[in-house]
Amino acid sequence: MVGAVIPPPRTASARRAVALAATLSVAAIVLLFAPMVVSPYWMRILSMAFMFGTLAQALNLIAGFAGYPAFGNVVFFGLGAYSTAVVMVKLGGSFAAGLCVAVLVSLATVLIVGPPLLRLRGHYFAIATVGLNEMVKALASNLDALTGGGMGLSLPLPPWNPAETAKVFYYLLLGTMTTSILITVWFKSSRLGHACRAIRDDEVKAEAMGLRTTTIKTFAWALSAMLTGLVGAIYAYWFSYVEPPAVFDMLIAIKSFVMFLLGGAATLLGPIAAAFFVEFVSDALWSHLLHFHLGALGLGIVLIALYMPHGFVRFFRDRGQTLVMLFRKQG
Amino acid sequence: MLFLQVALNGILLGGLYACMAISFSLIWGVLNIINLAHGSMMLVGAYVTYTLHSRFGLDPVLTIPFSATALFVFAYVLQRLVFNRVVMTSIFLTLILTFGLDMMLINFNIAMFTADVRSITTWYSGAALEIGGIRLAYTRILVFALALAMTLALYVFLKWSRVGHAIRAVAQDPNAAQVMGVNTQRVYAVTFGLGAAMAGATGSLLTIVYAFSPVIGDPFTLKSFVVVILGGLGNMFGALLAGIFLGVAENIVSAFIHPGYRDAVSFCLLVAILVLRPTGFLGRRSYADSRA
Repeated sequence: MVGAVIPPPRTASARRAVALAATLSVAAIVLLFAPMVVSPYWMRILSMAFMFGTLAQALNLIAGFAGYPAFGNVVFFGLGAYSTAVVMVKLGGSFAAGLCVAVLVSLATVLIVGPPLLRLRGHYFAIATVGLNEMVKALASNLDALTGGGMGLSLPLPPWNPAETAKVFYYLLLGTMTTSILITVWFKSSRLGHACRAIRDDEVKAEAMGLRTTTIKTFAWALSAMLTGLVGAIYAYWFSYVEPPAVFDMLIAIKSFVMFLLGGAATLLGPIAAAFFVEFVSDALWSHLLHFHLGALGLGIVLIALYMPHGFVRFFRDRGQTLVMLFRKQG
Repeated sequence: MLFLQVALNGILLGGLYACMAISFSLIWGVLNIINLAHGSMMLVGAYVTYTLHSRFGLDPVLTIPFSATALFVFAYVLQRLVFNRVVMTSIFLTLILTFGLDMMLINFNIAMFTADVRSITTWYSGAALEIGGIRLAYTRILVFALALAMTLALYVFLKWSRVGHAIRAVAQDPNAAQVMGVNTQRVYAVTFGLGAAMAGATGSLLTIVYAFSPVIGDPFTLKSFVVVILGGLGNMFGALLAGIFLGVAENIVSAFIHPGYRDAVSFCLLVAILVLRPTGFLGRRSYADSRA
């Protein structure tokens, strides 16, 4: 009889799911209505945070779940940006067409280079993706007729006034980031996601269990690349200008890599939270340390690698447990 | 004749590449760290040379001990204080750690020496050896010879010195080496210091034949990687051949196809080798291997 009166104790995972849903809905409402109150400066910072959040989440799919450190993933960012630029400038297409082409080009690139490159592991794979990025960058710098070479390409300006333009890109990037979260939600519990984690833990065993590892890895990387390409395409129209050093910049790759590590590999919201954190901090630094910005960012990266190798969630949980234990000892 | 000229210049350039790659591969092979700050470490060495040359009029060749010592001390301390905490952990960490270091070194070089492109002119800079219509600059020949000498010195050191034995033992099996009484932490620090010292010395050589600025380090890092995988990790003779091969290939592409694709050669080679033959063309060996 007692059981009928007292509700059954919820499991820890159910409680966490409720808390997560509550946090997410609050965050969604705040972010949806933020453009009505915040200054253009913060609009821009938030939009950048959405952009990097998506990049970090995309990296999470291939590096976090499958364990393949796609260090040069920025190549898809650059490909996406250049696809949009070429479609809009050389072919006179619309922005929507540019987005579609960007995603398709990223997908096609992974389908071609994925199967051979994904046979490599560890350092070899990481540096091979960097090599791929440098290769495509060299092509973009030298195929003058198509890409404008080192001069880059200027895109047509968006047809709205500056305030509207800022809002359009804010919501566009917010939508992209939301899409990346939804994809990760699906991915985490899908057969594909489980297969990727099996590969990460022991690729030989996974293969022995009958998983078609190359196909699975290629599929995960393709998802990652399409998201990255989409962000690159939006970036191109947002900044109205693309040039090889700006869109194939390894710094973009490293920043998203740090965010992904700081947020915790293979977590759902970690990379997003870390993207906001790093963007805010590096913006605060930027205004004070103009001459040493690069060095300060490097120092920050070194400190993160040394002190938070498993992300800040683990860091604070471990520190919290130490505190609890200290209090217990004293009490 | 033009082809021969281009190829010979490529061979001479290849000596520099080999020297640069061997220090990179020493750090990789023993510590399992891909040192993304390698190119920037070279440039720190180059700026040591630049400073000594412009302040005291010291010949670039004579500055090599200074740049090597400076980099050795820097890297030894860095390894003891910082990198020993992450040796043999995840490659995610070592990659971003060395990239963070790279950014700090670039920023340091820009702050100290500005972003201007520098070059050093010595009294023998313009002279060249002429044999049957082929001109070979003495500076390039000098750099090639010094690069070969340093490579040979490292080989002898690793093969016959006591510290060299310890380094090879740790590369072979860190745990077993520790059980035998080798202080592995110190060996890691010495290895990283040696690799950095050689990078610094290569940077000094670089000033004799190249113009340089703080931001040109990263392509050198990637080229080191290409040479190492082409020659096989831990294979010093392989690295020498691979360095020369890359130098020749770059010069030929640059002269006969398009100068803009000069750097693309190494990246295409990189992807092609990794796809076709990830163990390099001469097979993989380790520093522990007595034949290495």
